[in-house]
Amino acid sequence: MDNMIVVRDFVKKYGDFTAVDHVSFEVERGSIFAFLGPNGAGKSTTINTLCTIFEKTSGTLLIDGKDLSRDKDAVRSVIGVVFQESTLDSKMTVEENLTMHGHFYGLPKSLINERIRFVLEIVDLSEWRKAMVTSLSGGMKRRVEIARSLLHQPKMLFLDEPTTGLDPQTRANIWEYIARLQKEQQLTIFLTTHYMEEAEISDKVAVMDHGRIIAFDTPRALKQRYTKDKAQLISSDGPALEAALRQHDLAFEGYGGHYAVDLGAADLPRFLEVISEHRPCIHELEINKGTLNDVFLEITGKDIRG
Amino acid sequence: MRIVGALWLRNIKLFARNRVQLVLLLIMPFFYLYLLSTIFQSTAVESPINYVLAGIVIIVVFQTSLNIATSTIEDIVSGYMKEVLVSPVKRMQIAAGQMLSSTTIASLQGVLILIIGYFIGMRYTSVLTPLAILGFMIMVGLVFSAFGLFLAAAVKNSQTFQIVSVAITTPITFLCGVYVPLSLLPEGLRYVALFNPMTYATAFFRALSLEKMSLPADELIAEQLAFKVSGFVITPQISILIVFSFGVLFLLLSTLAFSKVDFSRINRTPGSKDIFQQ
Repeated sequence: MDNMIVVRDFVKKYGDFTAVDHVSFEVERGSIFAFLGPNGAGKSTTINTLCTIFEKTSGTLLIDGKDLSRDKDAVRSVIGVVFQESTLDSKMTVEENLTMHGHFYGLPKSLINERIRFVLEIVDLSEWRKAMVTSLSGGMKRRVEIARSLLHQPKMLFLDEPTTGLDPQTRANIWEYIARLQKEQQLTIFLTTHYMEEAEISDKVAVMDHGRIIAFDTPRALKQRYTKDKAQLISSDGPALEAALRQHDLAFEGYGGHYAVDLGAADLPRFLEVISEHRPCIHELEINKGTLNDVFLEITGKDIRG
Repeated sequence: MRIVGALWLRNIKLFARNRVQLVLLLIMPFFYLYLLSTIFQSTAVESPINYVLAGIVIIVVFQTSLNIATSTIEDIVSGYMKEVLVSPVKRMQIAAGQMLSSTTIASLQGVLILIIGYFIGMRYTSVLTPLAILGFMIMVGLVFSAFGLFLAAAVKNSQTFQIVSVAITTPITFLCGVYVPLSLLPEGLRYVALFNPMTYATAFFRALSLEKMSLPADELIAEQLAFKVSGFVITPQISILIVFSFGVLFLLLSTLAFSKVDFSRINRTPGSKDIFQQ
């Protein structure tokens, strides 16, 4: 039993509308799993069902070997959740929020204090223990929520867009905590995000659209399958370079000296040949690796969703 | 029990931290006392100040305990309820914590008003009266916080809730004999008032705190501490039974509704967003 999460034929309907349509996947224990998809793809429905807030319509969902519809409380005590929107008790202090959480999960009173110190240290908020939640910045609130979700030492952590609306520094910071946590505590992490580069830290990525999983693999494999590297170059002798690219059967765009060349895995040797032949007239060369963002757009298309 | 206690403490703290609310809740009753005792002087009531004060105490207990519904709705809308719902806490425990804290606050307010009532001349002949009063305030607090929680669980949406809450509390408040003497109501409304549980809570509480429980029926009716419905007299003793049954009914309904609420159907954000776009 190496899987932390097992989902089989999961269906969730709202009236006639099918939000999640026969989805199956597994999440390995101790791994980071990223769940991507455009708005309305069924991600939130899936994560909310896994967190025991929503009821499934049909299918089997297991977390840590426990059935979600039969053993809700057992599941609840092994998971930690950071929701998309803040779920802090804003009129209370950081400490009161954490203490309350400790009570909810039945931690012994003597242990709560010690745990609070520990989790606040993880997110660097030890000095803010007595502060009111309303006095914290957006990033700090997120960190408090992460700290809170760790207080009862869950085996499984759900992060639903944990960095939405935060500045780049705070985002980087939060991912650093998450990566460290995963390593130190052997946590299994299930995350959703809109920032594709953030999904790079995960071991497996699932892309969901229209209620189905349409791609499922490691970030590396997905990039290999769905993206091409692109070379941007500037040449002082445009016509000669164009001719050479055509001759070597390399697809490109551009004119008048500026070109973008698609590089499939097999194209590289020929491309290098062109470069070495034309080296004197090439001023700039930049090779961009395909990103998960490209993968995402490639799979889900570019239409704007609601 | 520990979770109920923790939730209770949290709500009490929340209440204590809202200073403006705290001050207003203490001042408003005296405004009404001043206003109403003049109105009630025109009725067949002896010692109108005591009579009115008793009414105000019980209506304050009613309003405060009903406020629980508002605070539960707020917790749902602010997202905090989600944190509670993904934890292994039982819904029953949440309901109990919410109801007990609002009952505590409601009774505390009632007691404060009664203490001030003492200084303006309210006296009891029996030492048992204050205890019975406290007991009844706690009961009314529980009854209407159960009712409030039921409303919150049934409505769930904060905008609809405001409308529903006004639509329900206004008639209950004004048709129970506290603000307007029932004898001054038009015939039709007087009849409606007989379906209002607060009418009986008020009548019983007045009879209790004015120590008039053992008065003969026609005197009770004259002071509106008992009601005559087509020959049948509803004595204060029957009144408390009515309040009690109403409370048990809503205690059952609210715990049932609250533990059955499908939170996936809650529209948390005002406006047009649905849950898929959270």
